[in-house]
Formats: sequence, C-alpha cells, structure tokens
Amino acid sequence: MNFRVGLLSTVAALLLAAPVHAETLRVGMECTYAPFNYRTPEGEMAGYDVDVAKGIAERIGVELNYVCQEWDGMLPSLLANKFDLIVASMSITEERQQKIDFSIPYRVSVGRILGSKSADLKLFDDEGKPIPEAFKGLRFGVERASTYAKWIEATLPGAEVVYYDGNLSMLLDLQSSRLDIAITNPMKAYLDFLSKENGAGFEFVSPPIDEVEYFGPGVGVGLRKGNDALLERINTALADMIKDGSLEEYSLKYFPFSIQPENWKGVD
Amino acid sequence: MSFDISLIGSSLPRILQGLGLTLNLLAVSTLLGLMLAVLILLMRLSGRSWLVWPAKAYIYFFRGTPLLVQLFIIYYGLPQFGFVRQSVLWPLLREPYWCSVIALSLNTAAYVSEILRGGVMGVDKGLTEAGKALGLTRFQRATRITAPLAVRLALPAYSNEIVSMLKSTALASTVTLMEMTGVARTIVANTFAPYEIFIAATIIYLVLVWIIQTAFSMAETYANRHVRKG
Repeated sequence: MNFRVGLLSTVAALLLAAPVHAETLRVGMECTYAPFNYRTPEGEMAGYDVDVAKGIAERIGVELNYVCQEWDGMLPSLLANKFDLIVASMSITEERQQKIDFSIPYRVSVGRILGSKSADLKLFDDEGKPIPEAFKGLRFGVERASTYAKWIEATLPGAEVVYYDGNLSMLLDLQSSRLDIAITNPMKAYLDFLSKENGAGFEFVSPPIDEVEYFGPGVGVGLRKGNDALLERINTALADMIKDGSLEEYSLKYFPFSIQPENWKGVD
Repeated sequence: MSFDISLIGSSLPRILQGLGLTLNLLAVSTLLGLMLAVLILLMRLSGRSWLVWPAKAYIYFFRGTPLLVQLFIIYYGLPQFGFVRQSVLWPLLREPYWCSVIALSLNTAAYVSEILRGGVMGVDKGLTEAGKALGLTRFQRATRITAPLAVRLALPAYSNEIVSMLKSTALASTVTLMEMTGVARTIVANTFAPYEIFIAATIIYLVLVWIIQTAFSMAETYANRHVRKG
C-alpha cells in the first residue's frame, strides 16, 4: 500500500513538473452514435457530443484526441486511464457518480419505447405509468448497462429483456421482428430510424420516460475523480456555452428542436 | 483502481447461471457438427469429383472465415432479405439461440471432417488390403477396420476441437445470448469491474476445459487399451 502511495506521488510529481504548454485531453466516445458522436464519410468526427467537446476545448485552451470505445467499456476505460474525458451522451446517475465525476448537464436525458405501428400496443395508462401486464410476452430490447436498462429492471422486473451492445444491432433486431419493443434515446430514434424508410412501420409507444431517479438530471461530461480543477474549468465553459446560445445552436444543427436542458420540449 | 477479490467469489454464482446455456450450445452444436462432418467426410472420400469439390469448398469457406463473421452473417445478414423472414426457417433464424447453434455447427463440421480425414488417412493401408483379401465388402472394411482405427487416431485432435468449441460458445454473447460470457459482460457493464468478473469467468472455463480434457484422456486410454505401451 505504501509502495503504491509512493508510486502515485512520484507519478504526480512528474506530471506536475512536466511542461504544461499544448495540453492534450483524450476524449472517449463511441464514434458510432450518430448524431451525437460519429464519423462522417470523410472520416471526420462530428455530432452534438463532438461539438460540445470542441466548444469546451476551445474555451479552456486544450487540444483534443478522440478515442473510440464501445459503450459497455466506457467507464472502465476512463478509470483505466485510456482517456481523460467521456463526452459520449452519458447520463449523470448516482451509480456512475460513485465511480466518476460529472460536469453540469449539457443535454437532457430521456428514453422512449419504440414498437411496430401494426401491433397497436398500449403499454402505458392515461397517467403515463407503465402497465406491467401489457409488457408480458413482449421481447424488450435495451442497451446493456444503460439508464434504460436500470429503469426496466426497477420498473418492469417481469419483462423479457434482451440486452444489446449497441443501438444499431438493437434497431436491426426490431426491424427483423426479433424484438417487439425497444427503448432508446428518442432524439436518435427520430433522426436515424423513425424519419427513415427503415423505421416507417414503427412509432413511439410510450411517453417520454425521464424519471430523475433513473435518468438523472441529464447528460454530462465524465472524468476521473480528483480532477477538481479540470472539472471546474469544464463547468465554467459549459455554463458559458449555455448562456451564449452555443448549445442551442449545436442542437439545431442536428435536430429540428432543442435538446439542451433549458429548452427541452420533447419530440412529437 | 481497486481490486476486489470478494467480487470474484460473489460473481461466480451469477456467471454460473449461464453455464446451462453454454453447455447446451456446446453439446447441441458438437453433435450436429459431428453428423455434418461425417457426411462431408464421406463426400470428400467418395472419389467422385462432383461430391469432392463441394466438400472441399465447404471446408475452405468455413475454415477460411472467422466464426464471428459467420455468426454475424447468419444473425444480422440473413434477416435483411424479406424472403428469409417469410420462409419456414424464420422461426429458427429469429432465435439468437438457433443462429448460434447453426454457426457453431457449420464451423465445427469443417474442422471435424478434416480431423476425421486425418484419422482415416492414418490407418495402415495393409489392414484394409488384408480385409479385401479376406473377402470383406467395402462397407464391412469401412465400418470394421477403417472407422474404429480412424476414430482412435483422431481422438486427440478431436478433444482439441471440443475445447475450442467451448471457447467459441462465448461468441454467442455477441448476439444477445446470456451464456456465461454474456452474463459476465452484463455484470461488468453494471459494476465497472472487468478484472474481477472476467477472472471469475476464466476460472469456470478452466474447470470446464479440465473436465473435457480428463474425459478425453480417459476415452483415449480406453480406446487404446489393446495397444501395448512402451
């Protein structure tokens, strides 16, 4: 243990002694989660998360290096120092906050359930509460370890849940009728799926689900604990971006509606 | 990063919930694969080029492409075609379980047929010639002389293939199946503790491999009980 502390302080001393010019931060994201973080056909990184990361970098004066990482390894990779920041549409949750720190939210966090139009599903009562019996016998797709998965496990313990590593494979299985319903990010579902030919036969079969208990206050930038100075700089930059309308502008680049917390009106 | 040894112990029983499915995939695909392998072997040894070439092409394709790619083609590729979804096979192909079984069986069949062919090639030609001289029919020579000896020769390589299959079942986790690796990946995603959980999974796989190895070495001893040692 003493050895470890000694080692850590040596490393810290070395890091502090290193010249600080041209500081580079490595940013972890999936790189396949359009329109939040993805590669354009030209190979450029683009998306709302990327814009936010660039906006932060510009304001705090650092260079960015993008690291592509699958969703289920995102948090362990941050902890293992594979990168310094998560800017990957990660919702701020209590459970995650035990492991890492989050900035203030830069986007709303919400889920909605997709289902086939022809199935005529009524899964929620008039008050917007799920009806557990209605979910019986339905195969319910969700991304592993997502806030959506936590919500299902807590709210619908009897559901027949199928876990996916990514959004894309889940939507493929919804189309091929391996799944009856799937819960996902409504903004993404709207842009990539419902507004496209592939998603023509599908619709939202739930109201927006955004209980703070599971979905948290929104999506934030994640970083390892103990980086309070950096966290402070990021928070200041984000507050600035909310105030000067940059986040609003980034939203409207990708969506016909705003997705920053102050201006969320829902998709419909 | 902290390392929590107790997490290994507490995750073992949860990962073991996937053991049934892992063994099920292993047993069903091994069996189906073996049947297909024998068929391909017979085609390969038939000496008729219209049977030999399809068998060779089959072996080339399934040994020449990654199992993961084969699984993805079956699972994600086939349903892209409307006629597949209308077909009588869809109830099977809809299920991730059957997609995994099909991919594993088709893949192992290619390897096993080559393993068996190695066994057949290894049988001393003099023995079959002696059988011929004694007036045994082709069928009798194949079932009473070549097959028993070939199986004996092929056993060590075949046990290797079974071990390899056990590990391949982990790929089923990529198509949503909750076999041991699928369960482990889900726990990792929830606990953010890859080391402890995957070490727990490693322990279970090693125990299983040990059982398979031991069983095969007993089978080898039994099959070679007439062969004098030393």
